[in-house]
Amino acid sequence: MGFLNPSSLIYGLSIAALVVIYLRSRSRPTIEVSSLMLFEETPAPVASVRHLRIDPLFWFELLGLAALTMAVAGLYIMMMPRGPGLARSNALVFDLGAGMTARERGGLRIDQARRAAYQVIDAAAAGAEFSVITYALEPELLLAQTSDRAALRKTIDGLVALDVPARASALRGAMMRAQGGAEVDLFTDRPPPPGALDDVAGLARVHVHQIGLGDDNSAIVSLDPGAVGLSQGRAVLRNFSARGRLLEFVIDVSGHEVFHQPVMLSPREQVLVPFGPLAAGGLVHARILSSDAIAADNERWAWAPSSDRARALVLSPDPAVRDDLARVLLALNANFRVDAADPGLYRPDAATARQPTSSYELAVMHDCYLPAVHSDATLLVFPPVTSTLPGGLKVTATAPSAEMRPHRPDGESAVAPTMLGATRVVEIPEWMESAATASRTGSPAAIVAAAAGRSIGGSIGLLAFDIRNHFLLDPDRLDALVVTIGLLRKLTAPPGIQIVPTGGYVDVPASGTVQVTDPGGKVTALAADRWGRVRLRPLESGRYTIASGPRTVEVFANYFDASESDLSAAHPANDNAAARGAGRIAAAHEPRQATPLVLVLVALAFAAFAAESAFLLRHAARWGLRHV
Amino acid sequence: MLEARAFEPEYLQRLDRLVLGIKRARTVRSGQRTLGRVQGAGIEPENFRDYAPGDDLRLLDWNAYARLDELTLRTFRADRQVEVTMLVDASASMAYPERDDKLGLALAIAASLAYIAMGDNDAVRLGAFAVRRGAMRLDTTPFHRRRESYRDFRTFAGDCRCGGETGLGAAVDEFLLQRRPAGMVIVISDFLVNQVDYEDALSRLQAARHEVKAIHVMGEQESSGSYPPGLYRVRDAETGELRETVLGAESAAACRRIVDRLSARLLGFCTSRAIVYARAFGASNLEAFMERELPALGIVR
Repeated sequence: MGFLNPSSLIYGLSIAALVVIYLRSRSRPTIEVSSLMLFEETPAPVASVRHLRIDPLFWFELLGLAALTMAVAGLYIMMMPRGPGLARSNALVFDLGAGMTARERGGLRIDQARRAAYQVIDAAAAGAEFSVITYALEPELLLAQTSDRAALRKTIDGLVALDVPARASALRGAMMRAQGGAEVDLFTDRPPPPGALDDVAGLARVHVHQIGLGDDNSAIVSLDPGAVGLSQGRAVLRNFSARGRLLEFVIDVSGHEVFHQPVMLSPREQVLVPFGPLAAGGLVHARILSSDAIAADNERWAWAPSSDRARALVLSPDPAVRDDLARVLLALNANFRVDAADPGLYRPDAATARQPTSSYELAVMHDCYLPAVHSDATLLVFPPVTSTLPGGLKVTATAPSAEMRPHRPDGESAVAPTMLGATRVVEIPEWMESAATASRTGSPAAIVAAAAGRSIGGSIGLLAFDIRNHFLLDPDRLDALVVTIGLLRKLTAPPGIQIVPTGGYVDVPASGTVQVTDPGGKVTALAADRWGRVRLRPLESGRYTIASGPRTVEVFANYFDASESDLSAAHPANDNAAARGAGRIAAAHEPRQATPLVLVLVALAFAAFAAESAFLLRHAARWGLRHV
Repeated sequence: MLEARAFEPEYLQRLDRLVLGIKRARTVRSGQRTLGRVQGAGIEPENFRDYAPGDDLRLLDWNAYARLDELTLRTFRADRQVEVTMLVDASASMAYPERDDKLGLALAIAASLAYIAMGDNDAVRLGAFAVRRGAMRLDTTPFHRRRESYRDFRTFAGDCRCGGETGLGAAVDEFLLQRRPAGMVIVISDFLVNQVDYEDALSRLQAARHEVKAIHVMGEQESSGSYPPGLYRVRDAETGELRETVLGAESAAACRRIVDRLSARLLGFCTSRAIVYARAFGASNLEAFMERELPALGIVR
């Protein structure tokens, strides 16, 4: 409902004038009589005051004026268009989130969605066109409008649910792509979030087919291996079911089982399971052996750094900064042996002479850069304005202050910014990925606050902001510390193993042609880019193997998303059982079009004025014209 | 306006046959003699008629008996010398309810009676009274005796306006101060005043040896209390006093009760004082009132 010409609502002021007239007339009318003597025995008025006297004339006039005002303003309502033949094009939208991988009595949810889609296709008229759109992290148009049923079935048969959460923004994007269809069929395992269908609801008829019945799922929420030989590791398990569940929980380290324990979880309970301390470092693999609906969240990998001493170098002209960085490194890996030095006094040759066997695993350089330092990974903090920075990094300016917005795991930026001090404006090469951006105070332009990348020369990280005055240990700037630790984890990860969340991008050093084997065993050949790497985006949980000549890198993708794994959230408590059994909710959002109500309103106004006239005539006939 | 009706020829033609009923004997002053149409002890011969036993033998026309050998009586026109004054209430109460046109009705009745009286060559005048700005105002016309001058009353009736309080007692005072010979006074009013006021006024007129007649004028709407229903503030036209009241069927019934009580009280007083009382309720009844009501009461014959 709305108005075609809202400015004409100004005529509604006539209603205000009518109300004023009415209020004035509400004051009791005075009539002259020959003598009050004749009214000595007439009843006195009651004491109570009626604020809303039923005056038919007033209500008739109010109704007439309001109807005319709304008619002039062009009141319209959204109505179903009349007439057949509109359902010529259809859009089939599939949710490919991890919830659709849930296995139930009727098979996988994605298979149920497929069957429901086939029913829709079979029921459509001959010649009807269909498009296929999917969404999870992003929307994707798999098949444009076509009446080719074979291609349509082939596309639907090829749909595979992913081990990633289905984002609301992706659903909105998918619905926008579906706007061309007169009918949109959405196959999902949970009700669309509020507003997700608004873009298409007024243009097409939307049918929501809600798939799935059960809520029998549990997941490994997180896995922390602890410090090898020093502290216990912790795993967090969560039961999403409304019933208690007995889980068989196992932890392997480098293929050897180190923990095996049944865990009893109450309905919708989350528990912390301690284990270890681990005797040796390596790849930690946690598993829930008990089967449930979603398998992807029953496995999780983590890397336990070896207890072998690893060497790290911290260079900074500020002793306080050196101290802060050493603390952070030791917190990250207690087995680090940290060398800290003033860059002006540091002699790489002398250091090599003391430790001729190897270079550093990690070099952290604050406000300095010494190219002579040999390390597997380098973190540049507040790099100096010099042309000798590695990998094409280039400092162009220094901002006195900036506001940083770290990138959250879901790809969105943090809402609340963190105030930074002096910050270098750095141009990063294409092979580096920004981990946080900032904006200079008073300027909307974004600058890189943190970035990391892997090239042939090794891993390089960048923190563009200064960390003097114990900036990293300031409790009001925890985001800066989190970004720093994230970069350090990336830089100190073992070279042959990477552990990433599903849906995130991962860079793997490579050269020439690369063979990528996904968790299902499917092999794909890729070519390394000019920076000597391949970039992957794991969408299934499990192990990916990237073979590049003699070198092999393993990428382990962890999946967990609380809202996606919670299958019970997909079903309202009062859901109709029959509708659930049918696997379809009759939630049809009808296409509507604006229908002006001018004629109806004008007729209403005339009816009101006619009724008023009849009332006046009757009054005049009874009491005379003077009393009208 | 209703008073115009009293000057229409068709209406006046219907009044020609009526005679104003006057009870008392009139005083004939020297040099002034009025011939009326009423037979009586006058000196102006009018007609002859056959003798009937019991007739006054002094009236026998002996000359006729000598010539015709029949007993014939001579009849004479009665000699009348009476002043008739119509006192019309012109207070503000006579203007309401407007659709009743009470003042028009009162003036029409007064003019009609004047016309009838002028048929007997009686001296007639119209007067309107009301208290305005604290002073009694009694406007009267000169005495007219002949019907040729009846039209002169039209100007007075047309110019008469309502306003002020009734002041019947003050009007009588003003009238008596003029020290006119005793005659007939016809008071035409709605009598919406205190009982004591009109009783005192009428009593004093009688005490001055005037023959008093009271004509009670009220409107149809006023006497039936039929106002549009609703919550109203009613204002007394004379005093300006306000009262909030609910008008409807109940108030109409109450109004009728009060009018009946007022009329009965006035009738009782008039009866006890031998004052002729007539009710003229409703402007639409002018002809019926003049031709049936007044003859029945003896005001006209």
